[in-house]
Parts: sequence; C-alpha cells; structure tokens
Amino acid sequence: MMQSTINGSQLQTDLSEEFALKLQEVTKSYAGTPPVHALSDVTVSVKHGEFVGIVGASGSGKSTLLHVIGTLTRPTSGSVFINGMNTDGMSDGALSGIRSRDVGFVFQEFFLISGLSAVQNVANGLLYSGVAESDRLRRSEIMLERVGLGHRLNHLPNEMSGGEQQRVAVARALVHEPSFVLADEPTGNLDSRSTESMMELFYSLNREGTTIIIITHDREVAERFPRQVVLKDGKIESDSGLV
Amino acid sequence: MGRKDNLRENSGPRSRLSIGDTLRTASTGPRSRKLRSALSALGITIGIAALVSVLGLSSSSSADLIRELDALGTNLLTVEAGQSFGSGNSSLPIDAPARIRRIDPVYEVAAVSKIGGGVYRSDLIDEGRTQGLTIIAADLNLLDAQQGSISQGQYLTSALQDFPTVVLGSVAAERLGITQLAPTRSIWLGGEWFVVVGILNPLPLAADLDRAAIIGYPAAAQYLDYEYEPDIIYVRARAEHVLDVRSVMSATVNPEKPEEVEVSRASDVLEARAAAESAFTNLFLGLGVVALLVGGIGIANVMVIAVIERRNEIGLRRALGATRFHIAMQFLTESFFLSAAGGFAGVMLGIGVTVGYAILQDWAVVIPSYALFGGFGSSLLIGGLAGLYPSVRAASMSPTEALRTR
Repeated sequence: MMQSTINGSQLQTDLSEEFALKLQEVTKSYAGTPPVHALSDVTVSVKHGEFVGIVGASGSGKSTLLHVIGTLTRPTSGSVFINGMNTDGMSDGALSGIRSRDVGFVFQEFFLISGLSAVQNVANGLLYSGVAESDRLRRSEIMLERVGLGHRLNHLPNEMSGGEQQRVAVARALVHEPSFVLADEPTGNLDSRSTESMMELFYSLNREGTTIIIITHDREVAERFPRQVVLKDGKIESDSGLV
Repeated sequence: MGRKDNLRENSGPRSRLSIGDTLRTASTGPRSRKLRSALSALGITIGIAALVSVLGLSSSSSADLIRELDALGTNLLTVEAGQSFGSGNSSLPIDAPARIRRIDPVYEVAAVSKIGGGVYRSDLIDEGRTQGLTIIAADLNLLDAQQGSISQGQYLTSALQDFPTVVLGSVAAERLGITQLAPTRSIWLGGEWFVVVGILNPLPLAADLDRAAIIGYPAAAQYLDYEYEPDIIYVRARAEHVLDVRSVMSATVNPEKPEEVEVSRASDVLEARAAAESAFTNLFLGLGVVALLVGGIGIANVMVIAVIERRNEIGLRRALGATRFHIAMQFLTESFFLSAAGGFAGVMLGIGVTVGYAILQDWAVVIPSYALFGGFGSSLLIGGLAGLYPSVRAASMSPTEALRTR
C-alpha cells in the first residue's frame, strides 16, 4: 500500500495511489434481536477525480455507508481504504488524523458554528491538522473566494442565506485539500435555485480535479451524476461505474 | 511492539490542536452565550468574594487590634478583690498599692475606687435615672497607667483634686450630653456640684472607666465623705517581667488570703474578643465554601446542558478531525474559563469589599496573599472538577450519534 504523507506539513493528496476510496466486502451490523444488517458485503471504489452519487431510499443503509466511508464508525467486517491506507484496527486518534487530512464532510444541515464568521468556520476545516492560525485564515479566504463568497468573509452564519451557508460548508470541506469530499444530502435544505447553483459548484470543483461523493435519496438529482451507485437494503443494487 | 505501532506509522500524521487553538476554540462557546456564561460564573464570584473579603476583613481587623495592643501595651495588670470563701465580697488591703510598688519591675501603680451615688446632668433630674454611670475616685497617674488620652480639657492634677472637679469618661460625657466643655459646666454628682474639667478618649483596656465620672481621692473624702479603700489597682510592669509580676501579685497584695485577689491582664480581654470574632470569621468562611460548591454545581450544570445542546458541534468537530481528547479538552477548558472568570471577578469584588469596609472602619487594609491566590486557585479547582464529567461525556459521544439531528 502506498503511503500518502509522512511529513505532516505536506497535506495535498498523493495521486500515485489510484483510488481515493476503496470499500472491500464491508458489512455493518447492529446488535439486537434480530440483529440489523445495515450494510452487507459492500464493495465499491472511487478513483481520484471521480464524481459519484450514492443513491438510496431512506432505510437503504446510506447513512451508515456515509459514516463508514467517513471513518466515523468502523465496519463490522471488511476493509475501508482511504487514499490507499487500510483503516482496519486504527486507533481513534489515527482515524481522526485521516478525517482531518483525507475527508471533507458536507452535511445537509450545514453545521456551521453560529458564533464564528464565515472565514473562521472555514478555517475550522484546518483546525485539527496543525496549521498555524494565520495560515488557516489565509487559505480559508482563498477558498471562500473560490466558492464565490469572497464578499462574505466576515459574515456570521445567521446573516447568510441557506445557499451561502452551504457554500461556506463546502469551502470548509475543501480547505484542507482532502482526498475526497463526502456530501450528505447537500441540497436537502436548499430551495430549487440554490440547489441548482450548489450542484453547479460541485461540477465545477470536480472539473478542477476534486473527487466528489454525494449521498442522496433524490434520484432526479442523481441522474445527472457521471456515476451512480444505487443502494438497497444495505446492498449495492447497481453501479454505473462498473460497465 | 508490532501491529499497532506499524499502523500508527502508516496512518500518517495524527490530528493535533495546539494549546493556543484549544484556548481559542474553548472561548467560542462562552462568548456566543454571554448571559448564560456570566450567570453560571456568578456563583463562583459570590463564593470567592465571600472568602476573600472575610479573610481580608479579619486580617485587617486583627492587624488593627495588634496595632491597638502595641499602642496600649500588653503589660497592664488589673488587680481586684475576688470572691471570698466566707460571707460577702472581700476587699483589697488599704496598703495594697504601696505593697505593689515594692515589686521591682513595676513602674506604675494607679488605684481606683467605686463610690456610691449617681451622676446627673443637674440636680433636677430624677435620682433613678443613673444612666448606668458610676462615680470613681482615682489616682492622678490613672491616665498614665491606662496610656489613655484626653479628648477635651485636662485630667485631674494635684491642685484640682482637692476641689469638686470631675473628668468624664467618653461614654459618660456622651450620656450626660456634654460634647463641648465650657468653663462653668457643672454636673450633679453624689449630691454635690462638680465642675467638669476634662473628657477622656475611650480607654480600650478598661471599658468600665468610659462610663465613669472620675474625681480625685481628696475631693471624694472632703465632699462625699468617702473613706479610702482601693477597689481596682492598675499596674504597669516592664514587659519582659509581666508574667513574673503577675505570679507574685496575689501574695504581695494579700499575704494572708492570696486566693481573694484576682489578677488579670487587660490585653487578654482584647485577645479574647478577637478570638470571638474569629469564630464568626469561620462561620462566614464556611458560608463562602458552600457558595463556592453551589457555584461549582452551577457550572457543572451549565456544561452538561452545553454538551447536550452542542451535540452537533461535537459531531462536526469529530468529522473535522478532532480526537476524543481534543473534545474533552475543549469542554474542560471552557469550564476553566467560566470558573476563572468567576474567580477573578470574585477576588476583585472581595478586595473591593475589604478596602471599602476597612476605610469605613479606619483600619489599615491587609489582604493576605493566600486569600487572593487561594481564592483564584480554588475557583480553578472547582472549574476543573465541574468540567470533568461533562467533558468526559462529550468525548465519549460517538460521532455518528452526535451528528444525528432531532
């Protein structure tokens, strides 16, 4: 397995590893009577630069899959490789390190911290990777410019529209240059116009080379994605990338 | 060694958070909820303010007492007749003052005697209204023995003591309504007119004299038909020999019945008063500690609520790469911030109360450093204890659970 970074100051993605994400026979069960099998035997891989939609109705196991991909929870069996690294048996601290470097989360509810300005919220994306504060703020400003919010740097979340808030969240997910952006229903709380421009933003980021994984229940939105992975009852029903 | 270490090496750099960033992160919570933070810190403020001001006030007052004792001296002995075994009160021998003078380290001996009769503003006042004032005949060196001072006029002199002249104690003057001396101011004393020639300042070592009208022995004999018999003898001895003098006093005064002589040290009375005050000090300290505990519980309460309310923030931070330790430190530091702010405000308030009251009482301001550092330190300790459970709870929350909405 290739090792992406040993030197902590070097945070950018190592493209010598082909896959940004690889799930191998991943199973996730929750104890109970009878036990719940949220995911069974999921194998999927995402290359650098891909744009993948994971589509499934509620109860299909997509939330669990999101958490497994994002290393927020460990699979019951099977392996998760992130940027070539096997996360099996990693400590909480090591997994946290992976999240701080390789995963960029975007949530349906934005999850901006209300007392912090846009640029401070974006800078939180670099908070746990040991980057100095002045550097964090500088890079965050650049990233906000990139998502079209250069004029909103010092606004508080409640001074911005939903679409703007989600752009701040996207900037936060991108600022540490992760191996992939993992978005959970990113347009779920947005009106149709904001949804449109948010999707535009994702496409343009993808054109610039960012790997994007969007999890959604909305088949209509997902239809336009270059690749769709359909999840049903915890199993992969179809994967348009496996043609 | 082995697998785990290899994995750690392979997993690349772990996430980290500098101390500065920990402080910055922890300060966002309280800053965005100012009123709640201030209220939760208030309990600590009250507790610390109580501790600091109680310690400050008792130190200031005891410093004042020590100053007072230094000025008055601790070498004043009071000799009185005690209870006799037989019938009635015993009395001191007439030659007691002379005997005491023979003890070598003694350098001042002043006798006083209580005389029956009332003290009135004029002869028109009803005899029952004595106002608790007494007539006292005293030696001319009484003021030296007491290290007392004159507020107005003068003390009795060898010339004056033969005439109906009187010097009033501070309380006596006040009760008689004599605030200003006039050359012809007289009072009705034991059935005779006496001219007031002086008013004394309070005598801390002999509060009885403050309520007395003091006349000379010759005047007492001539105008009030008084027969000499000392009741109380004030004795000054050289400080280093006070205890020796005290031990031989009874036998010297009354060799036949030394048990009927009572000897006390005036400064002991003041010290006993101070000890009684310190009992109150302990009570207030106890109340301060209780307030501090309640304040700590308040902070713990607010932190527990914060952890529940900010579940999503915890989940987000975990998603951004915060370790359990980072989360725990954030909430623990936040708790420290609240208690430190409360403690600092409490120390300031305590200093303010002490300075204000000390100025009011004309005391020197003395605030022991252990009160300041101890006060602030204990607020930090309380903050740490209060934040312990909430921060552990925040850290042990699973990220997936924390990210769930509603």
